[in-house]
Amino acid sequence: MSTHSAASEGYRNNRVGPILRAGEVAQAAIQAVEDDNPGKKIHVEDRTAYVRIECEDECILTRASMEEALGRPFQMREIEINLGSFSGQIDTSPDRIRFYLAKHL
Amino acid sequence: MSKLASNEYYDLVRTTNWTPRYVDEAELFPEMMSGARGIPAEAWETFDEPYKVTYSDYVATQREKDAGAYSVKAALERANYIDSADPGWVSTLQAHYGALAVAEFAAATAEARMARFSRAPGNRNMATFGMLDEMRHGQIQLFFPHEHTKRSRQWDWAHKAMHTNEWAAVAARHMFDDMMFTRDSVSVAIMLTFAFETGFTNMQFLGLAADAAEAGDHTFASLISSIQTDESRHAQQGGPVLKILIENGKKDEAQKMIDVIFWRAWKLFSVLTGPILDYYTPLEHRKQSFKEFMQEWIIGQFERQLNDLGLDLPWYWDEFVRALDETHHGMHMGVWFWRPTVWWNPAAGASPEEREWLESKYPGWNATFGRCWDVITENLQKGREELTLPETLPTICNMCNLPVVGTPGDGWNVKDYQLVHEGRLYHFGSEVDRWCFEQDPARYQGHMSVVDRFLAGEIQPQNLAGALLYMSLNPGEIGVDAHNYAWAGVGKQSHAAE
Repeated sequence: MSTHSAASEGYRNNRVGPILRAGEVAQAAIQAVEDDNPGKKIHVEDRTAYVRIECEDECILTRASMEEALGRPFQMREIEINLGSFSGQIDTSPDRIRFYLAKHL
Repeated sequence: MSKLASNEYYDLVRTTNWTPRYVDEAELFPEMMSGARGIPAEAWETFDEPYKVTYSDYVATQREKDAGAYSVKAALERANYIDSADPGWVSTLQAHYGALAVAEFAAATAEARMARFSRAPGNRNMATFGMLDEMRHGQIQLFFPHEHTKRSRQWDWAHKAMHTNEWAAVAARHMFDDMMFTRDSVSVAIMLTFAFETGFTNMQFLGLAADAAEAGDHTFASLISSIQTDESRHAQQGGPVLKILIENGKKDEAQKMIDVIFWRAWKLFSVLTGPILDYYTPLEHRKQSFKEFMQEWIIGQFERQLNDLGLDLPWYWDEFVRALDETHHGMHMGVWFWRPTVWWNPAAGASPEEREWLESKYPGWNATFGRCWDVITENLQKGREELTLPETLPTICNMCNLPVVGTPGDGWNVKDYQLVHEGRLYHFGSEVDRWCFEQDPARYQGHMSVVDRFLAGEIQPQNLAGALLYMSLNPGEIGVDAHNYAWAGVGKQSHAAE
């Protein structure tokens, strides 16, 4: 069955990025990810309770862009309040979060 | 005020290994608890957690999370949402709390084992937060349902379930005991934090949150998605442990641990999350099917992460993908049929409109599972309710402790996979369940499934009443059809109207 083989190959993708609880921070993060990853196509999936924000191979989210998008001070640690999950691997620091994949499939 | 940024001191302050003088290393970190597997301390010290958090950040963030979840609850409590909620949704909540609240509280001990016995200082630090996280998950998921105990005794099972011999609770405990309570620190990091929390909990805590938000249950959506933000952090202990195992020639062992627990988690979610997403949640509020959520979270995301860390697909990958169209439909039918033996009221989810949806999401459903529901529906319409209730026992798998299921009707493939081990005959629901058992028979061989106990005479009297007594299911707690058969076009309107 074709849907079967399509399903079993579903892991062969290179999408990475934050999955945020719906709300102000998620909306700001969509804007911030656009700004922090110039030239990349950003995929946004809104599932009512959470929003998947992803791009290929690497996705950067900076504190500066979050502050810009929110119009208020924002500490990077605050993202955790809404970071329900993420795709790829993660690397955190006080100024930015990086989601990435070590190898491209 | 000048303040050091956390990344300027973090690595230094959590480097807490020292050379013991009064005891030797083996006494400080017994192999049974630490599970270092001969990998030297220097290698474990390379553990670098990717998701770093300091204690001051931790408490500030957690305070805000709790303030958010509790204020949503307080704001909406007076709306009495639950009184007008669909009975299928109420069952969803009751099944969720009973299966998970106390188990999460207990998970604090698994985190505590890593916090004390891990050879990696970074792991000990993260596990300390993980331990506090799990206490939060236990407490908050007991507090939220508590306001509903005035509504029915089934809500009391949020706390009660895990303290009983109810069959689903036995199955869940068997799995949690295996994954969290009887494993060394390294195995816990791989099996609990990595496989279970990076992978499967997303299904129940974010997938289900999507349906909750659609159903207007913002209290529950906010609660469970908030819980998952803790999991998303403390799940990151598994990745660095995995890297160290692979670098030190232990990839096969790591792969085996993942393969065992991936399958065990899949089976547990097939009986818990599958029926909830595809049958209990009111049709108009279903964001995606269970299979679609599995494709999103487990295949598209989790398996991709496993691959990126250097692991292979589980050897049973094709069977797993095939089972996405089957297992949870069978589990659901079993739970509904044996409904007196659960602490919630299963929603059949088999009205004509719902069946149309199922057929669209799972082509072929009507010719297989649908044919069983045809018989059930006809029996109900002709007033033969007794034929839709259990008189016999299911065959229970000695690995997952759940019924042996398969596809009925045109696709019939139900099979009991057997194994004789040290003179005892074991039954399994699949080749993979049997394989899990064979990886460590000494670990599993003494366990008696609920049906084994029944046949051994441990449950008296040997009838349904005796079984319910054994499972601590009293009148008012015993499951009935959530909608009083309205979906079959018979009976009075549902409990909501009472």
